[in-house]
Amino acid sequence: MDIVKGYEKEFDQLVEIYEKNTNDRSLRNPAVATIIVSGNRVVGLNSVNGMHVTSRVRSDGLVMIDVEIEDNTVIPVPVHLCTGFLEKKGEQLLRFNYIIGNNVKVKFKSHCILTRVEKLHHHMVSEMYIGKHSHVVYEDEHFHDEGGGVFVETITHMKVDEHAYFGSKFYETKTRVGRINVVMDVELAAHAKVNLESKIYGRKNDIIDIKEIMRLNGEHASGVATSTVFATDSAQAHVINEAYGNAAYSRGHIECNEVVKGSGVSVSTIPVLKVNNEKAELTHEASVGRIKQEQLETLMAKGLTEDEAAEFIVNGLLS
Amino acid sequence: MLVLENIRYSRNSNDIIKGVSMKFEQGKVHCIIGNNGVGKSTIGYIIMGLSDYKPNEGRILLDGEDITNLSVTERAKKGITLLWQEPARFEGITVKSYLSLNRKIPQKEMERALELVNLDPKFYLNRMVDKKLSGGERKKVELASCILLKPRYLILDEPDSGIDIMSLDMIVNVIRHFKENGTGVIVITHRKEIAKRCEYSYLICAGKVLLEGKSERIVSYYEKTCDTCGHINYLEEN
Repeated sequence: MDIVKGYEKEFDQLVEIYEKNTNDRSLRNPAVATIIVSGNRVVGLNSVNGMHVTSRVRSDGLVMIDVEIEDNTVIPVPVHLCTGFLEKKGEQLLRFNYIIGNNVKVKFKSHCILTRVEKLHHHMVSEMYIGKHSHVVYEDEHFHDEGGGVFVETITHMKVDEHAYFGSKFYETKTRVGRINVVMDVELAAHAKVNLESKIYGRKNDIIDIKEIMRLNGEHASGVATSTVFATDSAQAHVINEAYGNAAYSRGHIECNEVVKGSGVSVSTIPVLKVNNEKAELTHEASVGRIKQEQLETLMAKGLTEDEAAEFIVNGLLS
Repeated sequence: MLVLENIRYSRNSNDIIKGVSMKFEQGKVHCIIGNNGVGKSTIGYIIMGLSDYKPNEGRILLDGEDITNLSVTERAKKGITLLWQEPARFEGITVKSYLSLNRKIPQKEMERALELVNLDPKFYLNRMVDKKLSGGERKKVELASCILLKPRYLILDEPDSGIDIMSLDMIVNVIRHFKENGTGVIVITHRKEIAKRCEYSYLICAGKVLLEGKSERIVSYYEKTCDTCGHINYLEEN
């Protein structure tokens, strides 16, 4: 692990918060590829065979990180991307550029540690190309400050080439959201597959915006996008799922489940399905509303109170 | 003893249950039999105290205590539970977690409960209780959950629906297990094969108890009379 001189303390603090929240000790393991960003600096970097990481910081504070993985590389343990902010206030600007070769197998675990800030704008733009026959999983978990002063914008554009697979999990369920805007725009070539999943728990006056777009451009491309939001108090959640069937035999399914609790919540879901090829097939499922009475009463008939039953159901939904 | 005293229940100005009285004992298997739509499940929901199933008249007594106004949770804590005809699905919850419900139940006990309902624990403990389970599998998981609850009174609403014919013996065995463990079982069914295995039956017709007594006699009457007369309920309400 290359820890940038002078930033050992920041590195330790971030790792400590991460370990406390996840019980995962991977970040100090020399066999694990890691990229650790604190504020507008890369403070720790560890690469593995077949993977090349470079970083630079622009004069305006934008942190630019390029990740390239060679063809036929299999990375057996997850690559950890850890972005944190240890100041009270500020702005964190990040740009990731991934080029993943053909026949690659890799899993990224991204953690956003923003638990100590009062007011922060975290803005991350990612571009990712996934080569033919590759298998890429990207799990993104966020830990925010309970004061609600975090504003996270994460915008991802992807191209998934022929016969490749991309699976994404975006979770913000353990801590307060603040404000979040997630955009995931994926283009799929022939026989490519994608599975996008996002789960967010909104509390107090949190604001949640999710937009997931699947562009099924190649024949037999297929994708599923699922969003689950639990909104309580006066949280607002607005989800847009779009699927475009642009090629023959492409198939897409979008699903949005928003569960609400509390009279002050405001939630919406907008599905957009557009077929531009008569042989494409798109489907959609959505539900917005309270926890189903039959679910609550099933658990209450086993002795749980209504609140315990609701918590049990929501924990499952967001797990 | 669990007693229903002159229960009346109406919905949208329709009288659904019209003065039903019943008695259920622990360690005994009872049956509520009748054609579809006569109010059998409604009686089960009233006993469990589900929302929208509060009786307009009458009382429910558990060992002499009036539980008519108790919540579902309070009734469950007193030992009454219900197996729904079509149990609800839960996203993201494993069978193991569903069976334990945050209680400390030894894994061995969960495995035994699954084995009793013919589900292999190796394959099912880590599966989700979601829509990927078939109707029959979901029902068996629910039965296993009821076994672990060790209730004093268990209402089984159409326990065989959605379950393959081969599993009929399993249901009978599970009912026997409950009886042997002191549970008062209330089986709601329109299937004679199930009713015949019970000890005491109530035949429901158009929201009333038409006949009650030893199951053999009631089932025999049901076979001779009700099989050819499915419209009494419909005629009365209209």
